Amino acid sequence: MAEQSAGGAIYFAILGIVTTAFGLADLLVTASGSEFAYGGILEIPGDIFRGGWGGIILLFAGIFYLSGIRNFDDIHQFAKVVMASILIWVVAGCDIFAMITESIPSSSEETGPWFNTLPDFIAAYAPPYAPAVLLLPFSLVVIYYIRKRASGEEGSGNSS
Amino acid sequence: MKILLMGHPNVGKSVFFNRLTGANVTESNYPGTTVDYTKGWMKIEGGDVEIVDVPGTFSLDPKDRAEEVAVAMLHENRDAKVISVIDASKIERGLYLAMEIIEEGYPMVIALNMRDVAEDKNIVIDADRLERILGIPVVSTVAIAGEGIKELVSRLKEAKPVNVDDIIANAANASDTTGAADAGGAA
Amino acid sequence: MKLNTGERWDLIDRISKETVTFGAYRHTLKDAIGELTVKPMTGIPVAIAVMYGFWSVFGSFAGFFTDGFFVRLFDAYWLPWLQEVFPGQGEWLYAIMVDTGGIESGEFVLSSNCLESFGVLTSGLFVAIGVVLPAIIIFYLMLALLEDIGYMPRLAVLLDTVLHRVGLHGYAIVPTILSLGCNVPGVTATRILETKKQRFIMMTLLAIFIPCGAQIGIMQDVVPDLMGWILLYLIIGYFVFGYILNKIVPGKAPEFLIDVPPYRRPLLSNIGKKVGGRVRGFFVVAIPFVLLGCAIVGVLYQLGVIQFLGDTLAPVFVGWFGVPKETAGPLIAAFLRKDLAVAQLSAITMTPYQMITAVVLVSIYFPCVATFAMMLKEGWKELIGSLAVLAVVVFTYGGLIHLIGILLGVA
Repeated sequence: MAEQSAGGAIYFAILGIVTTAFGLADLLVTASGSEFAYGGILEIPGDIFRGGWGGIILLFAGIFYLSGIRNFDDIHQFAKVVMASILIWVVAGCDIFAMITESIPSSSEETGPWFNTLPDFIAAYAPPYAPAVLLLPFSLVVIYYIRKRASGEEGSGNSS
Repeated sequence: MKILLMGHPNVGKSVFFNRLTGANVTESNYPGTTVDYTKGWMKIEGGDVEIVDVPGTFSLDPKDRAEEVAVAMLHENRDAKVISVIDASKIERGLYLAMEIIEEGYPMVIALNMRDVAEDKNIVIDADRLERILGIPVVSTVAIAGEGIKELVSRLKEAKPVNVDDIIANAANASDTTGAADAGGAA
Repeated sequence: MKLNTGERWDLIDRISKETVTFGAYRHTLKDAIGELTVKPMTGIPVAIAVMYGFWSVFGSFAGFFTDGFFVRLFDAYWLPWLQEVFPGQGEWLYAIMVDTGGIESGEFVLSSNCLESFGVLTSGLFVAIGVVLPAIIIFYLMLALLEDIGYMPRLAVLLDTVLHRVGLHGYAIVPTILSLGCNVPGVTATRILETKKQRFIMMTLLAIFIPCGAQIGIMQDVVPDLMGWILLYLIIGYFVFGYILNKIVPGKAPEFLIDVPPYRRPLLSNIGKKVGGRVRGFFVVAIPFVLLGCAIVGVLYQLGVIQFLGDTLAPVFVGWFGVPKETAGPLIAAFLRKDLAVAQLSAITMTPYQMITAVVLVSIYFPCVATFAMMLKEGWKELIGSLAVLAVVVFTYGGLIHLIGILLGVA
């Protein structure tokens, strides 16, 4: 168990560093007032709401990860890691919801068709993605650790 | 017949009310959702029974407007029965209010609600024993999931006023018997 | 027989000793996360994220229905069709029901969208159904979710220290947040506060500074860029005037212990029931008021009352508040529905800063008629007191905002 949680600590340390970096990048890009895209997969929004406010939340998530990895087995420390993932889920969830709501109605003005054309609809889900969306799959790993902890607790509960 | 649902804020009185009457009172997970009373009707064994969802109160000595409404409601209905809803994870505070109401001579049934939360906190309550000491029905419930509601309703008719002296005597007896049992075990 | 407090606790102690066994208390993950959300160091970031989620989903959902479909439906199909088929173009009934139109180089021209037309069947229906209805639905959905999960009391604990400065305690956040949906339940919820003083302060602050969901929805649609500034002015006003009221209103503001319930998985049926009830209420109460407000303002326009008021009060509007005199019309509509008033404001030409001032004025100047009635029910003395405070606030704060604009060089 100790070895496994050491693995977890390293994993979340790396994720924490990346998340913090993304958060800072969000804020810097927003401050510079432009957008930033990289390699066709990453696009950092430059508006005050998604980039600024959302960036602050990513930064907090990164800090939560990093402060939670020491003594990873302690429930209070682990809770910080879980909370960090929840923060990422909130931002990424909002990004994805915005993608969905923007992809359905037609983008043409005034008259014209009601719904988006199929190619445009699909194109709305193609990369590049916002930082939180890219972090989302990696943050889901925390569920595995929650499960593991829950089964561990039950085991010890039965034995006592 | 009239039944008052009484208890602390956020112990689930409105949940009981909705389960019992099929009404649509707002339920929320924070104290103070019900700041005014709501009335509803249910049928028990063919008879119409009026149920009142009373705002939460900590004691019969009101601290705010919602609590004033609660206490006034109790005192205006001298002939009512009371379902005392108690948060099983905070049983002592709940019993305090229940005792105050018992002392005023109201017939009562106790619903030990949120048993699931108490279990989470590793608190185990011997409901049968509590029932013997208090001399009134005590039912464990998880109102939000509907557990224990039926039993609560079926035992409403057993509600009766009890004398505090009897409770004191029962409590003393109970501790004697545990004492004896412990002594027996030791011997 | 009755016991005194000490005897009663003794008895309960004895009973619980007999019946309750406390197992070793084990911290669950739920508890640990619960703690993280109330400790300031971690709780404030969480609160920031919760607010972000709230706004983002609110904006996406409302934008989806309003900008995605309703704007097209109303502006491209409904308005031209009505302009075409409604008889008596240019006459008073046409103006009230469909389109006031405008005069351009001496000729009557039709409005091009539903915000400018001012008609009961165009502006009125568009505001009520096209803009406010989606906003209300998503707002109550999110609110119900936060309520049922059990986040609200944690926010209350977190904000306790801040709210103490304004003579309220953390629980004041419950009426405040409820008011963001609609001020009416917010006023009712002030009953959880203990003293007359607290209730009075709370009710007054709610009625003046908290915009309702309908108003937020329409602001999001017509002045999205200015929204941050408007809300900032309202929040600052809430705290500044709360602080002042706390100093001058006699009475006590006692401590209140907040009970924090456990986090719970929300029940879909309960949330559905809550949202359903509120949306039904919106249809029954709010929509008729929007249409009525539209009709009344339309009639007053036709009779020349609004122009007269605008001209008479021009020194106050232009000189003191720094907004165009045409705002007189929306201010009258604001008494019936604030959402309608904001929609009408958006059709008046003015600078961004004037728009900010005007929308803040519409928010603070008078509670809408439904809130007014609810406050009256809570006590006429308090209502008169609140209105007195309100009159002072509108004048000083409205003037102050104008002054800030002058100092910043934008007014």
